[in-house]
Formats: sequence, C-alpha cells, structure tokens
Amino acid sequence: MKRKSPLQQEIPFETLDPARIRMESARKQALDQGRTRLLVTGVLFTMAFMVLGGRLVDLTRHGKDGAPKWQAMVTAKAEAEAPVVARGNVLDRNGHILATSLPTQSLYVDSREALRGGDPDYAVDRLLSVLPDLDRDDVLEKITNGGRFQWVERNLTPDQVWDVNRLGLPGFGFRREERRVYPYGPTFAHVLGYTDVDGRGISGVERAFEGRLGNQGDAIDLSIDMRVQTILHDELTKAKDRFEAAGAAGVVMDVITGEVIAMASLPDFDPNLSAASLGDRGFNRVTKGVYEMGSTFKLFTTAMALDTGTVGLGDGYDASEPIRIARFTINDFHAKKRWLSVPEILVYSSNIGTAKMALDVGAEKQKEYLARFGLLAASDVELPEVGSPLYPARWGEISTMTISYGHGIAVSPLQVAAGVSALVNGGVMMTPTLIKQDQNVQPEGARVLKAKTSEAMRGLMRLVVRNGTGKNADVQGYLVGGKTGTAEKQVAGKYDKKALISSFVGAFPMTNPRYVVLAVVDEPKGQKETFGYATGGWVAAPVVKGVVERMGPIFGLVPDASSENAEDAPDHPLHMPIKAGPKRTAQLQGTVRHAAY
Amino acid sequence: MNKRSGSGFLRHTTVLFLLLAGGISMVLFSVKYQVHDLEDEHKRLVGELEDERRALHVLQAEWATLNDPRRIQVLASEHLAMTPIAPHTVVGPDAVLSIPVRELVFDEAAPAEGETAQ
Repeated sequence: MKRKSPLQQEIPFETLDPARIRMESARKQALDQGRTRLLVTGVLFTMAFMVLGGRLVDLTRHGKDGAPKWQAMVTAKAEAEAPVVARGNVLDRNGHILATSLPTQSLYVDSREALRGGDPDYAVDRLLSVLPDLDRDDVLEKITNGGRFQWVERNLTPDQVWDVNRLGLPGFGFRREERRVYPYGPTFAHVLGYTDVDGRGISGVERAFEGRLGNQGDAIDLSIDMRVQTILHDELTKAKDRFEAAGAAGVVMDVITGEVIAMASLPDFDPNLSAASLGDRGFNRVTKGVYEMGSTFKLFTTAMALDTGTVGLGDGYDASEPIRIARFTINDFHAKKRWLSVPEILVYSSNIGTAKMALDVGAEKQKEYLARFGLLAASDVELPEVGSPLYPARWGEISTMTISYGHGIAVSPLQVAAGVSALVNGGVMMTPTLIKQDQNVQPEGARVLKAKTSEAMRGLMRLVVRNGTGKNADVQGYLVGGKTGTAEKQVAGKYDKKALISSFVGAFPMTNPRYVVLAVVDEPKGQKETFGYATGGWVAAPVVKGVVERMGPIFGLVPDASSENAEDAPDHPLHMPIKAGPKRTAQLQGTVRHAAY
Repeated sequence: MNKRSGSGFLRHTTVLFLLLAGGISMVLFSVKYQVHDLEDEHKRLVGELEDERRALHVLQAEWATLNDPRRIQVLASEHLAMTPIAPHTVVGPDAVLSIPVRELVFDEAAPAEGETAQ
C-alpha cells in the first residue's frame, strides 16, 4: 500500500463520515455567529460610551442644566446691549432725552401669605411706619380679603424698598416695573402726552408711536429742539400771565423740511404727575383746537390773488366805504378811508380791501387755494389730537368775503403755520411732521405757488412788520416778516367783542426764510402798558419777537448787518413799493358789483 | 509561550488605560472646576454690567433733569452775571475782514543777528 499524503494520512477517507462533517460546519457557523454578535455588541458599547463621554465633556465644560450654555456665552455681548427698560426713549433732534422709563419696584401683597404671617393690624402698622401715605383701611382690606395678588403701592423709591424689606413682613413682595419720566416736566406736555400707570401711551407722541415705543422698544427722534421749545414755552407763559389770557399756543416750524421745531399749548400739565382729570389743561390748542384766525388769513388771500394774476402789486381797491351786504357790515379796524394799494391793504390790515380782492379771485379759486395750503382738511401731523377745520358747506359770496380775512373758517394754529411756510419757502407745501428728517435727503413737497408769488409775499410780510401792524415783532437784523391777526370769539353763536383770539405769524430771516413762528393768545385782556389793546400786534407779536431774538443766536443765524434803511433801496430783495402806482382799476370796473355794496 | 506574551500585553494595556483614565479624569476634574470658576466670574461680570447699564440709564435721566433749561436759567440768574446772547453779537465769517489790520513795523534800531556776531 502506497503511503498517502499527510493530509490523507491524518484524515483517512474512512474517517470522513458525513456526521462528522456536518458537525464541523455547525461549529464553524456558531463561531461566525458569535463573532458577529460580539462585533455588534462591541459597536453598540462603543457608541454608548461615546455618548457618555460626550455628555461627560459637555457637563464638564458647560455645567449642569440651567447654567449658561456656550451659545448663550457667545451671544452674551448682544444680550448685554439689550435695553434696560422695555419702553423706548423719546429724544429731541439733538438727542436730548425728553421721555424715558426708569426701572422701579412696586409693592404687592399676597393676602393668604400675609394672614398666615400673623395679626393684619400689626402688619399694617408696621407698613404705615415706612409708607405713611398709604390708606390704612385700604391696605387692611387688601390683607384680609384673601386675594393672591394686589398692588399696595406702585413705583417705590430704592429707600422705600429698603425700608419695607427691613420690616420682613410675610406676604409682601416686590415686582420690578417701569415708570415713565419726563425730565422737562410741563414744557413738552402736549407734544409728548403721557402714559397710564401700566406704561401705555394715552396721548401725544406716546400714544401715536405706542407700537414703536412700547412693543419694539425703539427710540423716537423728534424734530423738536429742546432749547427752542423751552424758549417758546417761556415766552408764551409770559404773554399769558401778562395779558391774563385763558390760554396760549405757539409753533415754530422749519419752512424747508416741514419739521416742527417747537410746539407749546397753555395751560398745560406735568406729565410726571398722575394725569387723572386734565380737563382744559390736556387740550392741545396747537393741533386739536380750531380757531377763526382773523387777519393772518389775509396772507393767503393776497397770495392767491397775486398767484392767479387777479391783481398786481401796483393795483388797489377802494377801502373808503364799509361793505354792506345782507345784514353784515365789513369794516376796517385801522380804517384809512381811501383807496389802498395791495401792499397797503395788507400793511393796514384792511378787511374791505381783502374782501374785494377775494371776490375778484372768486369762491372756486379761493377754495382751491385754501385746500392747497392744507387749510380745509385735518393736518397730517403724527399726533392723535388733530382737529378738523370748520368752514361753511355753502361757500357763498359772503363766505368768500369773510373767509378772506379769516372769519367764518376755523383752522388749527399748526395748519396756519404750515400754510405760511409754503407762502415764504418758495411756494412748496410741506406736510408738518414731528419726526426728525434726514438732513441729506431733499425734502419733497407739493408746489402750490409760483416762486415769484412767494418772493412777493416775503416782501409784503416784511413790510407789515416794518411799517404796519406787526412792528412789535421786529428784531434788528433778523428781518422778521409776518402778519397780525385778531378775531372775536364766538360765544353762544354771537361774536364777543371782549373775547379775542390774538395771533401773529412770522417768518425769518425774510431774505431767505428758514423758520415760521406762530403765536396765538386766547382771550387776552388789554393792559395799561398796551393802552388797553389786546390785538395780535400788541399781544402775540412780542412773543414772536422774543422767540426769534432768543432762538436766532442758538442756531448761529448771522443778523443782517446793513443799516435799517437799506431795505428802502429799490434794488433790495425785500423792497416793496407801498404806494399805489397808476390806479389800474380795469379789473375793478369789470366787477361792478363792489359799487353796489 | 504565545499565551503568556498575550496576557502580558493585555496586562500592560490595562495598566496603561487605567493610568490614562486616571490622568484624564484628573485633568477633567480640574478643568471642570476652572470652568465653574469662570462661569461664576462670567455671571458676576454680566450682573455688574447690567447694574452699570441700569445706573447709566438712570444717570442719563438725571442728567436730562439737571439740564432743564428752566432750572439752569434760574441758577444762572442767581449765580452768574451773564445774559442771553443778543442777536447783534453774532457775526459771520466775513466779520474777520472787518478787523483792522495792524501794520507790522520792524524796529530798524535793533541790530540784526548777523551783525552782533561780527
């Protein structure tokens, strides 16, 4: 027998019985299965340990739950810049804070806790020893009525908080709140308005911008200049006291941008104090109040007459006889009883001349122009307190005449200021705004007058101050121009000779007007030093003078250095020939109606 | 022989891993406490920042109150001999031209420097 290979030798064929082969394969299979299971388990364990390890690193690096997460640390810078208080500030055009919120603490009581703490009388005694202004019965009621949360006192000072905490009374606690603060007190009362105890805007800018101030916490940049506002408020207060007036109102407007630089209404209130029942003091006479403004309207009438070409500066009207129509008589206060040129009509504030001029313009054109000057619709200024103008539904001939000199139409002082801005700024109507405008953006407005008409109006307004009823408003060098207005108030349907609305609207410097200043005094009483007069020229013109005199240097306006008589020279930009030229009465003869009056 | 060397390797790895684990946990321990300290520091600084910002906010309001022109006017009239700027005191840049020019006169008597050196 031949020797077989070692393999064959070791496993001889006879030994390869089928049962054994099967067994070997089963073993191998089990071995493979075991390996796979081990691998799967190993992977699972590794993953589990990796998770544990990751968590370990996480815990080690970032602490337990509730500790600041690393994401929070990264954004901590942004968080640190979050506002201290929720409600936004109101700033003036130079960034001065006009209204801000301060964090304060308010005291509340949980009466169940307080009762558990012991004798309520004792607790009230202790509390009153540090907060003596509280009402004893009121607090006692709050402690005993079982309520879980009741305010005891809002907005405590830090000292008071300290004192109450030291008492250690059970059931009493503090909650952080905000309190609205107005650093300048009543000066900005009607511009800013005020908020209720929960910090929601009730009136003024606080109400108008509630969304931005309250919800978004934005700061609002107003167009108001804190310094000019103080000056205006001061001058109006002086005039109101001096003439024992019922009220006063004033506006300063930028004629180029339409920004309101200052706005004040008297009597006013301190928005820092609880404003429960303000009554008349809460009434904004600048925007909400509508008044028959009187002769200041003659500016608009003259402007429309010149702009439509109805009259020229050399034309004139017969003002020697009062106009009698129906049961009315239109008379002149400063009667000259002669023919007056158009400049003279304005300078002497002739009702007769202005009424005739308006008749020549016609009711339709008059209405159209007044609408263009924004006098027939409520102002678009960003305040909730806006008054709608009052004017007759039937705009007849009588209305045309009375409206020409500011009677039979009631508008708010702000509307007049905005309209006059358009007269002097080259003839562009700007919407009055309380929001600071971007100085780099060319303001856009609607052209309402020819530039040439605006130029003529500047000269005419200057003339009124130099030679006419507005002398008391002149400030040497600032070339103030303007127009006085005196209207009788309607009391119970009749005009009351004793109750006047005296106003003056001025602009300066007249060579290139930048600001319009309007002052209105409500029911002034004539004084000895004004010879008993309470007219616009005596009452309101000095207010405008005071404001111009004080605000000019603040804005660095350089006064015109030329002598007083320089304006008489025919080549001066403000030169205005006052004497009527050859009486061009063609238009007058064309409208014979005047003769019939 | 083979079996002995395998168990020796295992023993070494175990010791190595134990040492490694011990070392790492010590590092981890100290890092954890460092982080804790830093966290406290961070919290403190954020709190301080918050306090400062609140104080700043209140001070700004106070500054505005103190800056009230009406208040300053009262104080100024009490303590200062100053009046508001009158319009005629404001001049433009042209005003420089109206200042008379002072004639520069050279003193001929004074010897020039070169001469004294000689």
